[in-house]
Amino acid sequence: MPADPALTPAAASRRHLRFGWWSLLAFLSLGFTLEMLHGFKVGLYLDASSETRRLMWTLAHAHGGLFGVIHILFGLCLRVAPEAAPRRLPAVSISLVGASLLLPGGFFLGGVTVYGGDPGLGILAVPAGAALLAAAVYAIARATAAASVSSGRQGNTKGRERR
Amino acid sequence: MAVRPVLPVAAIVLAAVALGAAAVWTRTPFVPEERVAHRPIQAAADGYVSSTACKACHPAQYATWYGSYHRTMTQVATPETVVADFDGVVVDDVHGDPMRLERRGGEFWAEFNDPGAEGPESERPRITRRVVMITGSHHQQIYWYATGHERALNVLPGVYLIADGRWAPRSAVVLHPPNQAVSTVNGHWNAVCIACHTTFPRTRFDTPFLSEPIEQQAVDTMTGEFGIACEACHGPGAEHVQAHRNPLQRYALYLGDRPDPTIVQPARLDPNRSSQVCGQCHSVWEFYDADGERRANSDGLPYRPGDELRDTRFMPQPMAQRDSPALAAFVERDPAFVTGSFWSDGMIRVSGREYNGLIDSPCYKDATEAARTLSCYSCHTMHKTPDDPRPIAEWAATHQVSAGKDGNDACLACHDLPEDGVTEHTRHAADSSGSACYNCHMPYTSYGLLKAIRSHTISSPSVAESVQTGRPNACNLCHVDRTLAWTGAALQEWYGQPLPPLSADERSVSAALLWAMKGDAGQRALAAFALGWAPAQEASGTSWMAPYLAELLNDPYEAVRYIAYRSLRTVPGHAGLQYDYVAGREARVAAALPVLQAWQQRASQRTRRDPALLVADDGQLMVDRMMGILRQRDNRPLFLRE
Repeated sequence: MPADPALTPAAASRRHLRFGWWSLLAFLSLGFTLEMLHGFKVGLYLDASSETRRLMWTLAHAHGGLFGVIHILFGLCLRVAPEAAPRRLPAVSISLVGASLLLPGGFFLGGVTVYGGDPGLGILAVPAGAALLAAAVYAIARATAAASVSSGRQGNTKGRERR
Repeated sequence: MAVRPVLPVAAIVLAAVALGAAAVWTRTPFVPEERVAHRPIQAAADGYVSSTACKACHPAQYATWYGSYHRTMTQVATPETVVADFDGVVVDDVHGDPMRLERRGGEFWAEFNDPGAEGPESERPRITRRVVMITGSHHQQIYWYATGHERALNVLPGVYLIADGRWAPRSAVVLHPPNQAVSTVNGHWNAVCIACHTTFPRTRFDTPFLSEPIEQQAVDTMTGEFGIACEACHGPGAEHVQAHRNPLQRYALYLGDRPDPTIVQPARLDPNRSSQVCGQCHSVWEFYDADGERRANSDGLPYRPGDELRDTRFMPQPMAQRDSPALAAFVERDPAFVTGSFWSDGMIRVSGREYNGLIDSPCYKDATEAARTLSCYSCHTMHKTPDDPRPIAEWAATHQVSAGKDGNDACLACHDLPEDGVTEHTRHAADSSGSACYNCHMPYTSYGLLKAIRSHTISSPSVAESVQTGRPNACNLCHVDRTLAWTGAALQEWYGQPLPPLSADERSVSAALLWAMKGDAGQRALAAFALGWAPAQEASGTSWMAPYLAELLNDPYEAVRYIAYRSLRTVPGHAGLQYDYVAGREARVAAALPVLQAWQQRASQRTRRDPALLVADDGQLMVDRMMGILRQRDNRPLFLRE
C-alpha cells in the first residue's frame, strides 16, 4: 500500500475502516484458532516447552485485535472531524497500517520458532512496528491538539462577535 | 428525602479495613530466608544462583524439573508440602511412647521421646518441637524438627508412608536388624543427608560432626537450594546468567552450533563424565580423608559437574578393587562399608546407588566408543522431552525413563536382534515377559524403599553366581516355582553355561522358596517381592504361594514383612487381608494363621502338587521339610544402606 500524496481524509477514513474491520476479522479468527488449540490440548501450543510460543501468539492476537479497533476509531475520527486529520496524512496512514502488520505479525512469527524462553527472530519486526505506531500516534495526537486549539479560537471569536 | 452517602461509604470503608486486618492477622508471616535461625537456609554463594534464575529462559526444562521428585527431595515444612495429617493426631506406630502431632496455624509441631537423648527409647525425655523440613515426597516423608540448637535438625521417630497413608517407626522403613536402634543423632541431616538431598550443600559445623557434643558446636548449615535443582547437574549458573543477559549473545548461541562454555550440559559430556553427574549422589562414596571432609564441611562439596568424580571422592568398586588397600582401610574403619551395600562379589545390592551398578556393567566398562557406551542418559532423562506424550507426573513416577526406553528398544540401540527374531536369543515367546531384556539382564536384585529395585549392573542370569553370592538370578525370580537345578539345566542347554555343584535343597526345592526361607534378610525381601511380581505369578502360578508369604508375615525384619504383606494381597483371595507389619508378634500370628488355615482347607482342590514347592501328593504342605529349611535361616544382622 504505497503512500498516496493526494490521500484525502474521506479516502483515508474508508481505508482505515476497511482495514480495521478486516483486521478484526483476521485476529478474531486467530483467537478462535488459539481457543481450538486449547480445546484440543495441542502440545505445540500448550506444552511446557511452548510457553514462549503461547505468549507470543496470545500477544499477536491481543495486539492485532486492538489495532483493528484503533483503525476503526481512526477511520471514524477522520469521517466525523476531517479538520483534525494529521498534516502528513498519507505517511501517518501508512505508518499505522505498517505497525498493524509488523507488531502482531512479529509476535506471531516470533512464536513460530522459539528458543526456550526467547522468541524466534520474527520478534525483530515488533520494535519496528512499535516505532511506526509511536510516530503515527504522535502525529495524530499533535493534529488533534492543533485542531482543538483552532476550533477553540473560532468559538471565542464567534462569542465576541455576538456580543 | 435524599439519602446521605456518608453512612454507606463509611460502612464500606470499615468493612474493607476489617477484612484487611483479618487477612494480616491470619496470614503466616513471611520471614526472609536469611533471617531464619532455627533450620538450614538457602543462600546463594560460589556462583550458585538457584533455579529461579533459570526459569525465565528455560521454561520447559524448569517445568519438567519442577514436576520431578528431585525438586521435592528436600522441602521446608508448609501446609502445601506436608502430606501427613498433623491435626491433633496421635501416632502409636513409633518406638517408645506415642507421638502427638499438632497444627499451630501454618506450623507443624510434634511431642515425642527425644531421639537425640541417651538411653532406651521409652525412657528418653519427652520433648515438643516444631517440624521444619521434609525429606521425600514420592514413597515416604521423613520429618525433621528444629532441635533448638542453631540450625541443627533431628528426625521424628515416625516416618509417613505416602501410598499406605500411615506412619511407621523409622526402623521399619529400612531393612534394619530388629532390636537395634537406628541412628538418630542431632545434626544428622546437617552432616549426612544434606550432601545428596540439596544443591550445593554446606554443613558448616565449626568442628567435625560427632567430634564433640553437638550442643558445643556451631551449626550454620546452608545450601544453594533445597532439593536437587538445576545447578546440581549443570553446575553453578552465575556466569551463564550474566553472560546471557545480552540478547545478542543468546541469539548467537541459538543460531550457531557451538556449545555454551558458560554452563555444563551433561548430555554433551562423554558417557563417563555425564554418568558421574548422576553418580555424585547415586553412588556409594566416601571422602578420601578427614581433610577432604573438613573442607567440604566449610566450603561445600568440591565436585562440580564435568569434573572427574574420583578426584575428590573414594568410590568403592569391590568387583574391581578386591585387593585394594584403600578399600581395606575403609572396611577396617567401618566393617559394613562393603557388606551393607554390595553382594559378596561386589555387585551393588541397594537402591539409590545405581552408578555403582553402571560402572561394573560390560556395556559401560567394555565399551570402546562413546556413542555405544551405556550411561545414565541412555535410558533416563532429567527433562521430559517434547516428543514424550506422558504427563510430567507419569514420567516422574516412572523413574524419569526416556520415552521409548522402557522396553527392548533401549538395548537394541546398540545390540542387534538375532536374525530369527528375539526368541532365538531368549528362548521365550517374543511377546512374553521372558523376552524383555530388562527382566533377564536387570533383574530385581537390589533392595530399597520397601521394595525390590532392578539391578543397574547389566548381567546375564547365572546359577553359579546365585550359589556363590546368594544373589537371586533372573530366571528364578520369574520362575519362582523352579529349582536352581532346573535353571542350571536350561542355561546349560541354551547357552552352554556349566552347571555348578548344587546342594540337595538347591536341586530339589524352588530357589525362590529357599531364598525366602533361609536367605539373609535382603534375600528374603527380594524373594517376597518376586512372589508378588505379576510376571512371576503368571509364569509360576499363585495357588501355592500363600503359606510362604504367610510365614514371611512373621519374619524378624519389618521390611521383609511389609513386602510379604504387599505380595500376599496380590494372591487371589487375599486382597482384603488385614495385617499390620509393625504390630506385635501375637497380632501378626493372628493375621497369618487364617491365611495358612484357608490354604490347607483347600488341599483336595489343589492341582499343583510339587515337591519343589513342598506340596505333597495329598496337596498338603510338607511341614517338616519346610521347618527344616526355616531353621537354616541366615540370621546374621543385616542393615542395607539404601
